[in-house]
Amino acid sequence: MDSFDKNVFINCSFDDDYRELLISLLFTVMYLGLNPRIALERFDSGETRINKILKLISESRFGIHDISKIVSSKKDEVFHMNMPFELGIDYGCTKLLKGQWETKRILILGREQYRYHEALSDLSGSDIKHHDDEAIKLVKVVRDWFICEVFNKGPSHKRIWYEYNDFMNDLSNKLTTQGYELDDLETAPIPEIMSYMQEWLNKNNN
Amino acid sequence: MFMSKRSTHHVVKSPDGGWDVKKGGASRKSGHFETKKKAESWGRKVSEKQRTELVIHGKDGRIQRADSHGKDPLPPKDKK
Repeated sequence: MDSFDKNVFINCSFDDDYRELLISLLFTVMYLGLNPRIALERFDSGETRINKILKLISESRFGIHDISKIVSSKKDEVFHMNMPFELGIDYGCTKLLKGQWETKRILILGREQYRYHEALSDLSGSDIKHHDDEAIKLVKVVRDWFICEVFNKGPSHKRIWYEYNDFMNDLSNKLTTQGYELDDLETAPIPEIMSYMQEWLNKNNN
Repeated sequence: MFMSKRSTHHVVKSPDGGWDVKKGGASRKSGHFETKKKAESWGRKVSEKQRTELVIHGKDGRIQRADSHGKDPLPPKDKK
């Protein structure tokens, strides 16, 4: 696989209440030997966000788009429109571009199965996988999708989930030795956690 | 590098529903329980017997607490 075939563009909320889902999603993708790409990975402040997103999408064969946040859960909550916007760009790439982009595959995730068709009716007929805001379900949905789309067979979702829990314990110990306090663990930068994740997988998952 | 710390047992959300107890590094469960409370109770007994650290996870995998029942191979350094 070259880098395009291993890159997975992750389009989701970066809010605190999605953080644990994001970490479990990143772990699952990396556990399967793939390379998650997220907008948080690049800190070039001179680059506009949309150009950053376009580059990530164009470099990734796979796109995982969690549109849970397009439907507000509380009164007066602001809709997050970046997710459907970026999903549209990725979808356009698969349909309008030639060459390697014709091989792109897209996984659409949501909290509930049928909640989004009203807000985003263009998706009618599309298969949206749901995770009920539970990391354990997200791991299974993402793992099963990649097995069906790419690998045909692979480690079970149970194994990935158990090892994810092992990783979380080792991460907690590791960050503590790096000077983080327990309360800080919720705020460690995602790219730093991804770096530890890769190191842990290299050590534990040959 | 990630250092191997002490041996552990973990109480984790079960992929089959309920809660599991598993040994650290194991890809199979040691015990399965309907409730987290029962899993913790059984896990504590096993952990005490095997002198391991019992790590309690939340349903999202986050660490809620850890109870040591064995000798810590990496004890805190005395800063005096």
